Amino acid sequence: MPKVKKKRISFVIDMTPLVDITFLLLTFFMFTAKFKTEAESEQKFFIQRPQVTADTSKLPERDLAIIKVAIETDSVTNITDTTMYYEIVNEIDRATVWAQVKDFARTEKALMRVGTIDSNSLNMMSHLVKNTILTNPKTRFAIDADKRLQYKWIWTIMNDVMRKNRATVFNFVTQKKGA
Amino acid sequence: MAGGSGGMSLPERAKRGKISKRKKKKRIGFHLDMTPLVDITFLLLTFFMFTTTMAAPQVMEMSIPPELLLNVEVKESELMTITVRGDGKIFWNIGTDEPEVVELKKLRELAERENLKPTVRNKLITSLKVSPEASYGLVVNILDELNLAEVKITEVIGTEKDEEGNPMKRKRKFTLANFTPDDAKLIGEDTLKLGGRK
Repeated sequence: MPKVKKKRISFVIDMTPLVDITFLLLTFFMFTAKFKTEAESEQKFFIQRPQVTADTSKLPERDLAIIKVAIETDSVTNITDTTMYYEIVNEIDRATVWAQVKDFARTEKALMRVGTIDSNSLNMMSHLVKNTILTNPKTRFAIDADKRLQYKWIWTIMNDVMRKNRATVFNFVTQKKGA
Repeated sequence: MAGGSGGMSLPERAKRGKISKRKKKKRIGFHLDMTPLVDITFLLLTFFMFTTTMAAPQVMEMSIPPELLLNVEVKESELMTITVRGDGKIFWNIGTDEPEVVELKKLRELAERENLKPTVRNKLITSLKVSPEASYGLVVNILDELNLAEVKITEVIGTEKDEEGNPMKRKRKFTLANFTPDDAKLIGEDTLKLGGRK
């Protein structure tokens, strides 16, 4: 008797290992994902950070205050505007510091625009830094400035804001080369 | 799709007693359609994979002295000055020597060589003077190169012994100094401005 040849129509693949790996990866990415902070989502400008060689030092996550200096350029490369912003990561400190400043009182923003860089805004920044230190002496400071910024502003900030308030240890926010 | 096929069902047992016309199958295993679950899982996986950024910003630590206008007397031979001109050119000199141009890429090598000279080893003070016109990015790049040079300097000095036979410790002396009009003159920044640079 001739054997009846069964025509194979469908076939079954065991998907179990695939699903296992997928779940594993999903869990990994879910746990490592870090979402934008309040201030980052409020931030409308982009800072081109200076690029340095890879380092393991990361920006502290708590008790951190960041002085951001952003620039605006025209279509060429000329800097048209240099603006300072101030961010306090710790919510409780932030509320206390904002409350002491007339213009900022009763705002919920995490990132405050201090103003176009000049003697007024520098005074204001110094005042903010002083209040931050008084509110939380453990606060660490970081300067997040655009790499195209003129050095004189950084020098001014270092002297008139940081040194004046005895915040002599601070960080420059940088980016890994090639990232 | 993904439930696996038939792994759960047991082989049929031989039945005792009457053989009924209809075979009653006892349900033991069950099939669950895994397709939607896997779909959603893949969707989430792709979402998290694309939204995750691995390159978080890093920091460079700076410490500045609390007083700016405090004069410290140092030996001329133990002072290396790196001066940055507004157009990004870097100069270096020891003491009151004539400043020489140095490339950013060569800076590391230079710092290593000067810091490891036997006469000034572990005593050399590096002073960085930056023109107000220079860019902040360049300053950070210079600091980065100097930090890189520190690796080798610390390593070499660490292999040496002091008089008591203890390994030497690297004492880094670095300062960000004020850029004076004299410094500008020394590296020709004032003539640069007269030359009609924008």
